[in-house]
Amino acid sequence: MATPKSLTLSSTTFAKLSPHPYLLANLQPTDSSTTPTRTNGRQPSQTRLPYINTSSLSHAHGSAVVRNGDTTVICGVRGETILTSAIPNYRAPSDDPSSSLDEARDYDLLVPNIELATGCAPNFLPGVPPTTLAQTLSTRVYSLLHSSKLVDVSRLRIYPEEVGEKNIGGDDDKKMDEAEEIDEYAAVAEEKAVKAYWVLYIDVLFISFDGNPFDTAWTAILAALRDTKLPLAYWDADREMVLCKRSQKAAAPLSLRGLPVACTGAVFTEREKQKKGSGRYWVLVDPDRLEEGLCDETVTVVVDKLSGSTKVLGISKHGGTVVGPELMKEMVITAESRWDQVRAAIE
Amino acid sequence: MADRRRINGPVGATTPPIFDKPAAPAAAKTRDAIRKIFLKTGITPSASGSAYLELENPNPKRPGNTSLKLSCTVHGPRALPRSAPFSPHIILTTHVKYAPFATRQRRGYLRDSSERDLGVHLETALRGAIIADRWPKSGVDIIVTVVEGDQDRDSPESQKDDEGWDMMNVLSGCITVASAAIADAGIDCVDTVAGGVAALVCKDDKTAPTIVMDPIVAEHGSILAACCVAYLPTRDEITNMWFKGRLPGADMMVYDKLMEKSLVACRCANRVIVQELNETVRKGQGIS
Repeated sequence: MATPKSLTLSSTTFAKLSPHPYLLANLQPTDSSTTPTRTNGRQPSQTRLPYINTSSLSHAHGSAVVRNGDTTVICGVRGETILTSAIPNYRAPSDDPSSSLDEARDYDLLVPNIELATGCAPNFLPGVPPTTLAQTLSTRVYSLLHSSKLVDVSRLRIYPEEVGEKNIGGDDDKKMDEAEEIDEYAAVAEEKAVKAYWVLYIDVLFISFDGNPFDTAWTAILAALRDTKLPLAYWDADREMVLCKRSQKAAAPLSLRGLPVACTGAVFTEREKQKKGSGRYWVLVDPDRLEEGLCDETVTVVVDKLSGSTKVLGISKHGGTVVGPELMKEMVITAESRWDQVRAAIE
Repeated sequence: MADRRRINGPVGATTPPIFDKPAAPAAAKTRDAIRKIFLKTGITPSASGSAYLELENPNPKRPGNTSLKLSCTVHGPRALPRSAPFSPHIILTTHVKYAPFATRQRRGYLRDSSERDLGVHLETALRGAIIADRWPKSGVDIIVTVVEGDQDRDSPESQKDDEGWDMMNVLSGCITVASAAIADAGIDCVDTVAGGVAALVCKDDKTAPTIVMDPIVAEHGSILAACCVAYLPTRDEITNMWFKGRLPGADMMVYDKLMEKSLVACRCANRVIVQELNETVRKGQGIS
């Protein structure tokens, strides 16, 4: 008599059919000798090592390719100029620290956009308007760029060419009259007025998508901004336009404040439908696409350790009710080790 | 109205940097070969098939010495939505999109007419190669992202408003990279289709025009005509041909010569595809 063959499935088939029990079984091994691992072979708090390559694009002023596991992102930074006369409600920037003017935000000098519709994953196909995820990512990156004050705005200002100073130097030799000198200084101050700004178009393109889009996109933006070299630009009064010096030596890098690094964790709960505060849970740092699909709650912490002590620049948490203050502290510690990793990759 | 689903930047007009001095023109080298091609399959693991193509820049001025960079993903074959009418063969959808930082002028996120044009050409080129009736009632999406177009950053001002000659090179690259990605996805083809370009160029008005393979727009004084061909080498068939420009009427053979040169370019590109696919197969066998 033929014995009925038991139905066995390969692990990949099992993962496709019922992903939640599959991930749970991996995290909760039946015998205590095996350590709980995720389906991708990582420990719950283990991240993927980022790989960064810069200056690969010739039409962008700064660019970076970041690979984080199977997530690959290209970021290109492109500078364009805008005249102050074209900015509505323009106010001249002052050195007074009490002034409420935030040039980068008020004049919209940083324009980040994240494009997912490149076929980087089966659910992101082109020909449709940007998905909710793409819109959310762009907005989060935009607000983080401004709130962290990463880009030093003084490098984005464009002044008239410094011919005025030379003339004054020549005049000084001939005659020295105090009253006239004051007049000339006033003239210089007027000439030194900002005539135009650089606008940085920061475009992020996903080539391959395997989870954790925000961290990877942000790392790419950071690396591309560090790589950005804008040509020396000046306002030509005769032609009434902004001109740039051709020589490569005159190109100056942007000055960035700090090195903020984002670290995301997804909360995976024992039950598929999470009831209030019950059941076991795991925080999976740097989640991949399978894990992101199974987790409702995500935490993103942005930290900067460049000045020695850890500064938390941003915390965002979406969905779910598991993460409390205790877990948040743990996330900050995880983010600190992530910062070391990213810094080593960037430098 | 501005697209409110993206971040649009300042309201006022921004202009790309204008330089005080023109850049030194690229020194033209006479080559009788196509530029070196780098091709790699499987760069997007989440897609059914994918490939990446890069062309070497023969006269680099910057550390990154490549000129054309294309990434292609293939999704499918998969079932058509229920609402779609019955189709006895596979439905091919092609998208070609430039990245915003791909060309001298910043590109928007919406596809413009030249990108749609490239998509149509690519579709015709591939349709002849795919055995379409093996997949009734299914569809496949082929998406090519132009990470970097075939334009020189320092080309002289007179060529700034070029007549889109670089589109020819982009199309031939698209055909080659898409062919590799389709093979990577395991979609049956009669042959690996490859693209190639030849152009009739002249340095100035006095010299006689010559025919070159794989023309670099910045290197040549002016391009009179160009021809992009998609070719199946083992079957000796052409699936798509795009010819544009002005030909001197006196010489009837110029047209034939241009075609022949582009076929040579196609065969060169095809050799790269075959080599890369062989390598992929060998790697796959090594693991299993």
